[in-house]
Amino acid sequence: MPREDNASLVLLQGTPQKDVVIKPDAPSTLLSEKHADYIASYGTKKDDYILILYESLHVVDVNKIVEYIQSLQKEDGSFAGDKWGEIDTRFSFCAAATLALLGKLDAIDVEKAVEFVLSCMNFDGGFGCRPGSESHAGQIYCCTGFLAITDQLHQINVDLLGWWLCERQLPSGGLNGRPEKLPDVCYSWWVLASLKMIGRLHWIDREKLRCFILACQDEETGGFADRPGDMVDPFHTLFGIAGLSLLGEEQIKAVNPVFCMPEDVLRRINVQPELVS
Amino acid sequence: MIHDEIVLDLLQKLDAYKSMGPDGLRPRVLRDLADAIAKPLSIILRQSWLTGDISVDWKLANVTPIFKKGRKDNPESHSVWDSWFVFRLCSLFKKNYFIFCRKELILSGTLSPLKDLHLGKLALTKFPKSPETWIHRRWVLQQLIQENSLPAVVNKGNLGVAPAERIHRLVQEEMDVCSEAAGRYPSNYNAWSHRIWVLQNVGKLTTKVLLDELSSTKYWVSMHVSDHSGFHYRQFLLKSLIGRTVNDNNTLVQNQMGNEQNSSLQTEEECEGAEAVCVEEQSVDISHYLEEELDFCTDLIDTYPGHETLWCHRRCVFYLQHHLINKLPLLSVAASSVDSSDETLYNSHPNPTTSHMAQVMDVDGLNESSSKQGYTQETKRLKRAPMQDSFGPEMEYRFIDKVLSTCRDVDQARFATAYRKWLVTFLGQ
Repeated sequence: MPREDNASLVLLQGTPQKDVVIKPDAPSTLLSEKHADYIASYGTKKDDYILILYESLHVVDVNKIVEYIQSLQKEDGSFAGDKWGEIDTRFSFCAAATLALLGKLDAIDVEKAVEFVLSCMNFDGGFGCRPGSESHAGQIYCCTGFLAITDQLHQINVDLLGWWLCERQLPSGGLNGRPEKLPDVCYSWWVLASLKMIGRLHWIDREKLRCFILACQDEETGGFADRPGDMVDPFHTLFGIAGLSLLGEEQIKAVNPVFCMPEDVLRRINVQPELVS
Repeated sequence: MIHDEIVLDLLQKLDAYKSMGPDGLRPRVLRDLADAIAKPLSIILRQSWLTGDISVDWKLANVTPIFKKGRKDNPESHSVWDSWFVFRLCSLFKKNYFIFCRKELILSGTLSPLKDLHLGKLALTKFPKSPETWIHRRWVLQQLIQENSLPAVVNKGNLGVAPAERIHRLVQEEMDVCSEAAGRYPSNYNAWSHRIWVLQNVGKLTTKVLLDELSSTKYWVSMHVSDHSGFHYRQFLLKSLIGRTVNDNNTLVQNQMGNEQNSSLQTEEECEGAEAVCVEEQSVDISHYLEEELDFCTDLIDTYPGHETLWCHRRCVFYLQHHLINKLPLLSVAASSVDSSDETLYNSHPNPTTSHMAQVMDVDGLNESSSKQGYTQETKRLKRAPMQDSFGPEMEYRFIDKVLSTCRDVDQARFATAYRKWLVTFLGQ
């Protein structure tokens, strides 16, 4: 059946496409060298730019950062993204993660912040961007990460949420972000990391997911795309590699599911939130 | 300065618009002349797009020769220019700097919030997903709400219209904008979550509003059975209705207690009687809407087999019914507070993957067993019998069994089985 471009998911009769088919000749091994080359050369193209920070905490003004984040917390515990005031649980996560890395989590009202995030929990165990919003894998990752950082993972119904998360896996092995959406490599991270944090990683078919992620590689240029055959970009490359790491890929260093950073870096600064086992 | 660069950039990218009409005003010509016309063009554009006025004054001398040719030779080309222009204008809405400028202009009183909303609405027709556009829209609405709460004397416009009416119109307009955007992109999370935000922050979650929205979205979702966001919206409305009833009941109880203390004109029995009837009516109403929704869901599941969204919707509606009937608290059930009447009874190994990963899926062979038709009253099955039997897990299991024994769609069977497992695991029945 004809597969349209990324933006047009509609088949002849108007039925949205629900999954991808992995071709037999899709990549099935990790092309590490290619990915390294891809990332290294990315910054040299004139239209695109990439900023790589190597453990440079000493160059930032920690106090200013803390003050800024404090100023963004509202009375109900929620966080705005900037001075214009948009509220979203993603910002709760960003605030908590930033402060945790700086060792300044106590600068905010943690109790209120937790209260707000929990108010975004839905009947299906998932979380949305605001109270009453639809559950979404990305938001779930942020809320679960937030609760891990604030040591509140026990507030989650792990079986219920785990169930919702593993229902994201499609026949192709890939994971989507919500029911009846296409699989996407970045959701392989958001969903997988969430499952890892709540101790339900084994509920996913790991072999099939691994196949899917590897199939998203581009053999010529290196890098990962959102799904097999599409254009690669650094964003999906990061999450493809991080996802494989969570699945136990030996060639890749261990990645922390909360921060999406190497475990050894976090070990060094002693920021490794306890997870559900 | 930056505006010149933007214009230059736009002109240099004119390749994308290959067919510009039969007048010979080729994009290539404009592109080659980009350096020369960027500055004067940016002056015009800056004036018009920052003030939200998209009917450009073409008479500015420096650029007249080029545009005039287009207009003279072909009346079409003017509208072509306009649509190209409008398209690029809409694209600009996705750029942070542009949005920032709009905010500054609104704050300084130069740009009217309503005009900005109008342009945003246009932008959403081209980019219905655009997160920046929706986020900016909420900020503008906040400005309007604040403006609206000022005394009428201070209020700049619409002095003849009452604040409540203004708010009502604003809400209706947002419902329309969200509806349009939802139709333009499947399962448009941003559009539907904006819709919810508007009801929560601009309008009021009154029973009337909730019921109106429930009725006005019914047909739409029946035509978009894969749209999880659309169905979630209905879940939000129903849950809010339940919450509303609880609040109303609490208020009534409080009033009742108040009356008992103050009243000497009415007998206590009369007070209690009247309020008890109100409470009763409201409770029944909610059950009725939940039942209706479950029926609606059943019909869609029967008509359009193999849609996960419909089964997810069913889980939620049943969950709401279950909680209403058993008077359980809705949501935010902490895992630590498990007790026998609670929903969180579960097996030690609920592992759901075995129920569907074991089946080999032939995605290519997937086809709809029924053609896509609108949901009509004619397909609605007969009303069910007495109340006792019309809800509860037993009915759900019977429904699941019926589906499993009659369906031919592999996905349908998979979803029905998963639903049963979910019920057993999480509603402890």
